[in-house]
Amino acid sequence: MNIDRDALTRELLDMVAEEGMVDRAELAVEKPLEELDIQSADFIMILMAIEERYGAYVSMDNELTDVVTVQDLLDLAITKIEEHQSEKTAEA
Amino acid sequence: MKRVVVTGMGAVSACGLGADALIAATQAGISGVKPVQFDDLPQQRVSTAARLTLEDVAAIVGPTPHKMRDPVAEYALFAAREAVAQAGLTPEHFGEVCGVSIGSGQGGAKTLNSNYMKFGREGPMRLDPMTVPKIMNNAAAGWVSMEFGAMGPAFCLATACSAGSQSIGLGMQMVALGQVDRCLAGGTEACLVGAGFRIWELLRVMTATQNRPFSKDRNGMTLGEGAGVLVLESLEAAQERGAEILCELSGFGTNADAGDLLRPDPKRAAACMRMALKQAGLSPDRIEYLNAHGTGTVANDISEVMALRDVFGEGLDGLEVSSTKPIHGHGLGAAGALEMIVAIGALQRQSAPPTINFTEVDPKIGLEPVPNQAKPMSISAVMSNSLAFGGINASLVAQRYEDG
Repeated sequence: MNIDRDALTRELLDMVAEEGMVDRAELAVEKPLEELDIQSADFIMILMAIEERYGAYVSMDNELTDVVTVQDLLDLAITKIEEHQSEKTAEA
Repeated sequence: MKRVVVTGMGAVSACGLGADALIAATQAGISGVKPVQFDDLPQQRVSTAARLTLEDVAAIVGPTPHKMRDPVAEYALFAAREAVAQAGLTPEHFGEVCGVSIGSGQGGAKTLNSNYMKFGREGPMRLDPMTVPKIMNNAAAGWVSMEFGAMGPAFCLATACSAGSQSIGLGMQMVALGQVDRCLAGGTEACLVGAGFRIWELLRVMTATQNRPFSKDRNGMTLGEGAGVLVLESLEAAQERGAEILCELSGFGTNADAGDLLRPDPKRAAACMRMALKQAGLSPDRIEYLNAHGTGTVANDISEVMALRDVFGEGLDGLEVSSTKPIHGHGLGAAGALEMIVAIGALQRQSAPPTINFTEVDPKIGLEPVPNQAKPMSISAVMSNSLAFGGINASLVAQRYEDG
């Protein structure tokens, strides 16, 4: 299944803004999450929103601890969502 | 202060009924992790846990479940009966001279879950009227005291993942101080219920694949359940009745991070281990095997190994460390008791149990934790760690009993 990455990126940015309680306009992809005051508790909210929307369960692993910027988070989320969807396709 | 010895052990876990079943499974590296499916949780993200088999639950609970006992109390009673039988205690050994210290993280989770679900679905009228006595956290300690007529102090520490270790430590303190001659001490947990499982999923600390403590690709823990109980006695009380001594419980350390509720602090974990060593009167190099808290979460494993290097030296020379959680699961309030029994098993069998599912050393950790196979070795002293949410740490030291 092909995913429209641009649309997915926009959706994810909206989710990060909403769950992390950050102004969407301030959410530049190169910014470190710390600078936006997005903490681990917000992270968990973002991951819950990803699960709710895309069905992908992302647990805290080493990759997640390497996330520094908004772009890192987007890349990881997209990878996990794509992995989840290819698994679902494989099962079907 | 009196010397404290262990004269009996009992356990129920995903590895089966009995302390021996637990020790044998941890030595052989046979996991008790099984598929789990909750009726009231249609979309499970995590589908494994170290649960008891249905046959074992039936053997513990009996054909007609007790009207006033949640499984969490039944697990503790089963483990306590085994420990008391092994110790050879008879009615005259209880009364005022015997205390009880049985911790639990959540108490009667199954009863609470099913009654809340029923409340939501059917309304408030026909709930179980015995819910309160079944869910209260100290019910297991109460039932254990009644079973044997133990009328000394009865405690229930509810300190999450440190509850089992702290409860053993508290029992040890009571015996060492001479308040009681003996104490039934340990922890119990029966937390595998739909809503309870879901809130662990939401914390994102459970693995959807396999629990791999200290591995580079670890991605979370696996929940467990069960109970572990030790009979702790003063050396003189044990000798007076001619009891067989399994080992000496010589050190207990416990402290608080006073930092973050969830994020562990390696400095405080190190201070906790040092406190246990100090009480035991042992230098760090005397500990040969350490059963780590080793949950397999990213945060715990990095922090715990930093603390270990701080206490035992950068190279951890002469120390074997493993996490047996992939075998019996993370038993929360029972964890410290189950793992102390595993550590005593290592002492008895002169063999360090393995960390199963181990794949690759994490460069951020740099530890090979007795990977995948037990390691026969000479062991005279062991340590077990519990590092809980809430920032509460507990470490216990046991050693081979020697006269004089």
